Amino acid sequence: MTTRIALCLIALLAATLIHLGVSSPLPLAQKWALATGLDPDLFEEVRFYHSVLPRLAMALLAGAALGLSGAIMQEATQNRLASPMTLGVSAGARVGFYAATVFVPGLAAAYGEWFALAGASATMVLVLAIAGRQGIGGLPIVLAGMALNLLLSAVAVALIIMNEFYVRHLFVWGAGDLTQIDWQGVSWLWPRLLAALPFALLLARPLTLLRLGEQGASARGVPIVQVLGLALLVALWLTATVVAIVGVIGFIGLIAPNIARMAGARSTLDRLATSIALGAALMVGTDAIALYGSNFTADMIPSGATAALVGAPALIWLAARQMKARDHLRFFLPKGRDRMSVPALCLLALVAAGLLAASFAVAVTGEGWRVEWPSELVFALRWPRIAASAAAGIAMAIAGVVLQRLIRNPLASPDIMGMTSGATLALVASAILAGGSIHESGPGIAILGSAAVLGLLILFGRRTDYAPGIMALAGISLAALLDAIVQFAIAGGGEQAFAIIGWMSGSTYRVQADQAMLLALGAVTFLVLGLIARRPLTLIIAGDALAGSRGLSVPAARLGMLVFSATVTAAVTSVMGPISFVGLISPHLASLLGARRAAHQLFAAALIGMSLLTVSDWLGRSVLYPAQLPAGTVAAIIGGSYFILLLARRPR
Amino acid sequence: MQSISRRAVLAGLLAVATPAFAQTTITDSRGAQTFDAIPQRVIALSWAVVEQLVELDVPLLAVADPEGYGLWVVQPALEPGVENVGRRNEPNVERIAELKPDLIVISDDQGELAPVLERIAPVVHFTLFSLDHDNAAATRTSYLELARLFNREELARERLAGLDAHLAALRGKVERHFGPDLPKVTAISLMDQARVRVHGGNSTSEAALLALGLDPAFPQPATTWGFVQKRVEQLGTLEDGIILNIEPFPDAELLFASPLWNAMPFVRAGRFARVKPSWTFGGAFSIGYLAEAFTEALLTIEP
Repeated sequence: MTTRIALCLIALLAATLIHLGVSSPLPLAQKWALATGLDPDLFEEVRFYHSVLPRLAMALLAGAALGLSGAIMQEATQNRLASPMTLGVSAGARVGFYAATVFVPGLAAAYGEWFALAGASATMVLVLAIAGRQGIGGLPIVLAGMALNLLLSAVAVALIIMNEFYVRHLFVWGAGDLTQIDWQGVSWLWPRLLAALPFALLLARPLTLLRLGEQGASARGVPIVQVLGLALLVALWLTATVVAIVGVIGFIGLIAPNIARMAGARSTLDRLATSIALGAALMVGTDAIALYGSNFTADMIPSGATAALVGAPALIWLAARQMKARDHLRFFLPKGRDRMSVPALCLLALVAAGLLAASFAVAVTGEGWRVEWPSELVFALRWPRIAASAAAGIAMAIAGVVLQRLIRNPLASPDIMGMTSGATLALVASAILAGGSIHESGPGIAILGSAAVLGLLILFGRRTDYAPGIMALAGISLAALLDAIVQFAIAGGGEQAFAIIGWMSGSTYRVQADQAMLLALGAVTFLVLGLIARRPLTLIIAGDALAGSRGLSVPAARLGMLVFSATVTAAVTSVMGPISFVGLISPHLASLLGARRAAHQLFAAALIGMSLLTVSDWLGRSVLYPAQLPAGTVAAIIGGSYFILLLARRPR
Repeated sequence: MQSISRRAVLAGLLAVATPAFAQTTITDSRGAQTFDAIPQRVIALSWAVVEQLVELDVPLLAVADPEGYGLWVVQPALEPGVENVGRRNEPNVERIAELKPDLIVISDDQGELAPVLERIAPVVHFTLFSLDHDNAAATRTSYLELARLFNREELARERLAGLDAHLAALRGKVERHFGPDLPKVTAISLMDQARVRVHGGNSTSEAALLALGLDPAFPQPATTWGFVQKRVEQLGTLEDGIILNIEPFPDAELLFASPLWNAMPFVRAGRFARVKPSWTFGGAFSIGYLAEAFTEALLTIEP
């Protein structure tokens, strides 16, 4: 134990020295003199004392707090993948703070951390409700956190778009930036963190006893619910205060406790203490990388982005090490009806067609609401958007059905599995590197990105027999990596930042007639292909052994289905931008309605996905008229909210 | 197809009805554009072309985001009653169609919307900001082209001459204030506590300062939009010269009170001033408004 503590302290000291060396050109002796009381005079000296030192202090505090927060979450949930980021709590804090800044700016300036805490707590409660008791220790809680991350980022995008100029200065904050211009931030943060420390230490023993399992712990007189509640509240407070002051910095809270474990920290107290030291060291180290990188570019590199660049591969590595081949998810949705009759399916088709027609005929105009078939000109302007959203809805729903059957997991979908992220990453990266407009990047690059994710999925999946856990975690890591790269782009400033945010929210605005036609053709082709493959889709869900005994080549079928859904996702993403939740909830809704046979589910999900995106696009065109919200953002907010309702009403 | 022929018929009728008006051909970024009549219902979607049309006294039917225009561009003011057609990057094409314009003027990145907008009305697109030309000169060219379209070339030339005279007068003011030894000046736009846009080569801000006879204090290479983003603390390396910050700047209280900011050599030496909101991505007349705002700020600085 003493060696480990010594090692942690050495790492912390080394990171601090590197940080000091990178952040200011002054000689070390002078830095020491300034830090210990010499009055700064020259600009470089003032900068050191009022900017460099507080930044270092902020990195130490934020890192320590995130490390501790992650460690508490992992101890409380007995889940090595829990952290403020993976549970969606950081995103919740961020949205709480954003919303306060937009709607009650006066209060937000004074009490920002409480809004952040409210957002974080609400997210935590939702995640726990979704995952349920069984899911806390495993993947379900992480997948629920991931789903909430998607929903919350859609809400954040909507807030940014609705208040274009007002929240512009929040960009860097959103990326997690440690820049300090005085000691105010540090003197605000440290007492708030210190207040939480005694609670954390007090919780160490009861948390240790929790490892005995619920019964064992209650037998020794541990009030489980109270202990868990208090532990999570402390973790949330730590996260919310850090988010309120430096923004979202992911991964530190995930990696620090894991390294602590790997280093052999056994008792809870030991793990918490080691995580604090390691979190601080990691944060200071990644911030030093950000500072060093800033020397080579005029742009500022957000510390949160470097943390994600370092952390995302670490998460994949961790996941690959930890997940066992058959880490199946216990996750059930409400039963719903058992079968869907053909007339019912026809009725669904009729409703979908009605919605499609309504989205053509009902619109806000300068003179108010109008219900009339559009004029030739308005029709020509409107149909590519409606066709593209309808086609994208169909395609994403089909990809969702295929993936959920393949992975036998109702939480599998192209967005959660990282396929959307892969395509997006490729398109954003190509726009930044080539300097062109993101709207001009072609589907080829998107397919490249999706295929790269696919390659990774196959690489990780092969060894573990395509375990759902690995697939989902690869998706989470890729989404985080994507976020980091997008944050780099946005921090670069300029109009490109807005173009990318706009594109990332899945807009139909720039869809041309020929693109809409192609996408519609693609959607129909995907549906037909799916219907042709209904036998493998039916067999694969019954289990590998059964499918194999019926003559299905399971590995080949899996590979084929993965390639198929990656292609579908890439096609949609290159035209519309990333679309979340449609691929996730359409298959659910279809089976809730009783469409459980492969062909029925494909058909019903396609109709539901189509309706969902068409209605979203229609809402996006109407709500803020004459300004518009992107269909993808609206769909994510509707789909995400529905999804959470669905999960909250799930029978235990 | 049908709409084009209808337009042709209409144009023909108009040509018969008003024999006095000859065809006008102007050059925009895509080549020659011919008009048979002076456009009456004009929609402008980028703030830079809004400015040019207002300075031609052309009444505007609608613009994109007039509220933002009032906050960021301020001058020249829009007439009340101008319709809003949504945001600049995604203007509402259906609303535009509904207003039945006979001309849509756009610029720069909005060029990719031209194929869609052309279904509604003739489109004129100018590339005002580019690395391939001097932005300040390009905006005069486009202004004169628009003047020709509206048959107001004389007015345009008068206004430009007035602008030049105004700039010369402002330059005289600055010279009288600072004496023969003119300071070097650079304009910046602070974004937040950490980031700043430095207006450098090819920016309207630098063009305005050069028109006042002031060389840059913190020279930056030319870029498309004329600014380079930097970290605020990088301003601390600046040994002499004056820095002007163009507002609005939401974090002003926080940054300007900080010890870091007050240790910047130019702040210590009292060679910093705040400039009232002025649009840095506008046209020729923005250069005039910027020069005016700069002069006002410079006169508060001790020579």
